[in-house]
Amino acid sequence: MQTKNTRHRAVLGASALALAVGMAMPVAAQDSKTIATVVKIAGIQWFNRMEEGVQQFAAETGHNAFQVGPAQADPQQQVALIEDMIARGVDALAVVPMSPEALEPVLGRAMAAGITVITHEAASQENMHFDIEAFANEDFGANLMEQLAQCMGGEGEYAVFVGSLGSQTHMEWIDGAIAHQEANYPNMTLVGDRNETFDDQQNAYARAQEVLRAFPNVRGFQGSASTDVAGIGLAIEERGLEDRTCVFGTSLPSIAGQFLETGAVDGIGFWDPAVAGIAMNRLAVMVMNGEEIYDGMDLGLPGYESIRLDGRVIYGQAWVNVTRENMADYPF
Amino acid sequence: MTRWREALGRNETLVALVILAFVVAATLSDPRFFSIPTMMDLARASIVLGILAVGVMVVLVSGGIDVSFTAIAAFAMYCTTLLLVTYMPDLPWYGAFAVSMAIGATLGAINGILIAGFGLPTLIVTLGTLAIFRGFLLTFVGSRLISNIPSEMRDFSRMMIVRGTNADGSFYSLPWAFAFLVGVVIVTWVILYKTMLGRAIFAIGGSVESARRVGIAVRRTQFFVYVYVGALAGLAGIIHASMARVANPFDLVGLELSVIAAVVLGGARLIGGYGTLTGTLLGVALIVLVRNSLVVLGIPATWQMVVIGVLILIGTGLPAWQAKRAASRAA
Repeated sequence: MQTKNTRHRAVLGASALALAVGMAMPVAAQDSKTIATVVKIAGIQWFNRMEEGVQQFAAETGHNAFQVGPAQADPQQQVALIEDMIARGVDALAVVPMSPEALEPVLGRAMAAGITVITHEAASQENMHFDIEAFANEDFGANLMEQLAQCMGGEGEYAVFVGSLGSQTHMEWIDGAIAHQEANYPNMTLVGDRNETFDDQQNAYARAQEVLRAFPNVRGFQGSASTDVAGIGLAIEERGLEDRTCVFGTSLPSIAGQFLETGAVDGIGFWDPAVAGIAMNRLAVMVMNGEEIYDGMDLGLPGYESIRLDGRVIYGQAWVNVTRENMADYPF
Repeated sequence: MTRWREALGRNETLVALVILAFVVAATLSDPRFFSIPTMMDLARASIVLGILAVGVMVVLVSGGIDVSFTAIAAFAMYCTTLLLVTYMPDLPWYGAFAVSMAIGATLGAINGILIAGFGLPTLIVTLGTLAIFRGFLLTFVGSRLISNIPSEMRDFSRMMIVRGTNADGSFYSLPWAFAFLVGVVIVTWVILYKTMLGRAIFAIGGSVESARRVGIAVRRTQFFVYVYVGALAGLAGIIHASMARVANPFDLVGLELSVIAAVVLGGARLIGGYGTLTGTLLGVALIVLVRNSLVVLGIPATWQMVVIGVLILIGTGLPAWQAKRAASRAA
């Protein structure tokens, strides 16, 4: 607690300094904080959606919250941006690191300058006050598997796809899925290895065709890369198997939408970056106000009603399951 | 006897034998491999690769090399889709194809001007334009994939020549897009073997100096070759996007070595003046076969590269070695 108080003073000091120097910031109320959300890359749909959340947070709370991101997906450009933000004297940083290791030094400097640091998608980050994850990867994979099993009636052969065998998140999703199947659905069998698609829809399509040829009885597919289900869906549609197969996986409505419409893909899961953006900012304010973060706490956001605290890493259950019926609600 | 040896020494025969051996091995390891659905899948997979390979073969015959064609294909495909989505979503599919081929031909003309006009080396020019076309596309046109492609393009991919039902009730089908590969082969055959232009392409590939002396317009012929390969790349690109139902600007680039490998496997010589359409199509068939039979044969993904490399060494090395031996025996 003592360290928190000193940090608090430092934060106040920094913002007082910022005001004294008269930086180009909008006029704000006395307790209004400046919070910069720094994302991996600007201009892509995923982070545009996150920016909507950040803007909503700013409008609702009156804090000066805004989002910036480098033009290219380059850790060094992100480092430079964060340094700019430190120089501008922001009160808090909400960062989605391109590479957690590359950001350690600059986030260390930010914390030393009294800035509150919240990260997202970076459970391994050292220099941060809290990291917030939409969900534990194994839980998310099990959630997809649960839907797949329901769709398949709890029996039959299924195949799994990952973007790359080296992708930790994809492998953990599939680990969670297989564990869930083995524990709850003994009549389902996994066929073949984990099919590697290199995050490429064409590759997923070719691998799905092969799986269909090699295992004619396969009735279920679970994808991991956002393009996996689109490639699988195309192969399913070409064979007219929409009604006899179940396809679930991580994707976005903008990528898998046309296959959800035809039923070639039955459901997709993802997390809403807008909600993650609000969660990071809200958490930053809580930390700055000295509020205690505890296990089972309610952050007041969908999917973050009962968070799990593991060290300084916060896990929600903030996945969104989308089918043909509700895909229009998520235009990204 | 000598005729037999000659036939065996040809790349086409060799590649055909390898394909046969591959199919037999795959069928033995899994009898389901030898089936109509598999053939249809392979035919479908060879459309884009095949059209690109025919273009590359023409360039090789003319004594040049083009590595920029995948960037041209991606550029034409993405720009056309973007244009259609933004301004004319109801343009019929053949209109989209024409636009894409026109963009491809224009980019090919840039290669043509640099190569035929300024006489620069073909590899260097196309290496440069590969990077420029791709960089320009990603920087100024867009790097976001378009998954809501115009319905006309989507409808095109659903037009089938044959459609049938398997024993288990699933479908197999061959899309009309395959007819474009056939069409490209026929048109190219006519150009190469039935026109003066075709004679000229073979001639400059054999020897530029001799061709010039017999009065062939070397520059005009070269220019045509690069415009033609550009137009074919544009066609391949738009077919790729239609069939994949997504215009991804990162697609296609990286395929150039596989395509060149297919053409070289088919017997086209890198030094120019020689190449056949039969050989090229066999080369494409072999590459597609290897790339799409990993699960059936249980080959890990990384092994396919080794397999393709070995095939190139055997497929092109053996005839060369035989020719050398025959030459030394004659001497």
